[in-house]
Amino acid sequence: MAGSASKGESPSEVRTVAIDAEVLAGKRFPYQTDISLVADIDLLAATPGPDINWLEDVTLLEEDGIPAVFDRYSNSFLKIYFNIPEGQEDDIARKVLIKHLVDGNSYGITLKDIHCKFPQVELGPWVDESRIVGENWKPTELEGWTAPQAH
Amino acid sequence: MASVGSLSGVSYDARGLVEPHAEMPDNIEVDGSRARFDAADLTIRQINMALRKLIYNDGIADVTVLNPSSKHSLAVGILKRCRIHFEGSPGWFACGLIDGPEVTINGRVGWSLGENMMSGVVVVERGGGSLTGAAIRGGDLIVKGDVGARTGIDQKGGTIIVMGDVGINTGFMMQRGRQIICGNAGQNLGDSMYDGQIYVAGKVSSLGVDCVPGEWTDADAELIERKFRIHGLGEPPQFEKFVCGKQLHNYDSLEPSERKLVI
Repeated sequence: MAGSASKGESPSEVRTVAIDAEVLAGKRFPYQTDISLVADIDLLAATPGPDINWLEDVTLLEEDGIPAVFDRYSNSFLKIYFNIPEGQEDDIARKVLIKHLVDGNSYGITLKDIHCKFPQVELGPWVDESRIVGENWKPTELEGWTAPQAH
Repeated sequence: MASVGSLSGVSYDARGLVEPHAEMPDNIEVDGSRARFDAADLTIRQINMALRKLIYNDGIADVTVLNPSSKHSLAVGILKRCRIHFEGSPGWFACGLIDGPEVTINGRVGWSLGENMMSGVVVVERGGGSLTGAAIRGGDLIVKGDVGARTGIDQKGGTIIVMGDVGINTGFMMQRGRQIICGNAGQNLGDSMYDGQIYVAGKVSSLGVDCVPGEWTDADAELIERKFRIHGLGEPPQFEKFVCGKQLHNYDSLEPSERKLVI
């Protein structure tokens, strides 16, 4: 995570410019450090259509000098700490990402339960069954404030 | 959810939802994991309500919608693997924001088909309007007829395949992904594109700013052969490839937060 305070900023005002999946979750996930946990992931089964569909655009990138895969569902990088076999870079990146999503660890998924305004599946199309969230959303009420008439 | 009446007679709720009290259609026929209903007399809200209930709550994996009658914003925001078939033509913004569905449309579509699509497959048997695949992020979008202007504007991923012609400003500000155009392309192809590949089999009226011919590779041939094969599109024609000349935009100068917008 790259975050720094510039002159005049208090520590609470430190701006984070490179959000990391671990920072958002507050922990590192086992599949970031152990290749055996992603070896059996079936990418074709996890994606719609006869090929890997949206995963075609997912490749191994680098963040803070460490191999990483980008999680578009939380706008964050998920770093990969194990050694990636040569020639399997993109394949491994996709498997780590799918494992992250299937396990429901993407921060965007965490936020769904709190903020979804309309019923939808908690997890995405990478699983067959998922609970529904967003069925009981209520607008936030500010204590002591009443809506003006005609609102 | 409390709703409030307005002078116009349309009621809203805090989520901005029009027709908050719409009733579920009673003409849905369910057969095992398949369902079908006639949308001719239904509102947009009712059609989308029915799709969500069937796919999310009832475990239906295959839904046929008859007579969509060019209604707008149908099958928007479906976030689960399923099959949806439209027998007829949806209107604007069909299948926007979808993540997972495989959609077939036996008709034509209006503007912005598959806008912001995340994943899945959409196949349209006839033509499409302008802005087809606007801001698409993933998946395959296939239109078997012609489409209008600005196809794949702001495209950030995915593959758009057009079997006919495309209009002006196709690929405008494209950032990632692929476009496979079997017919002719209008003026300003790939104008101000950041990245991605555009393949054109027909004549290109003119190239936009910083769009240049690209070097053909084995990966290009593999992509086109695979997409034509898996979607049953026949024998692919000869294509010319166009890419970004990298003279206008440069990722290296982007801030980290800006960089994330294009990956």
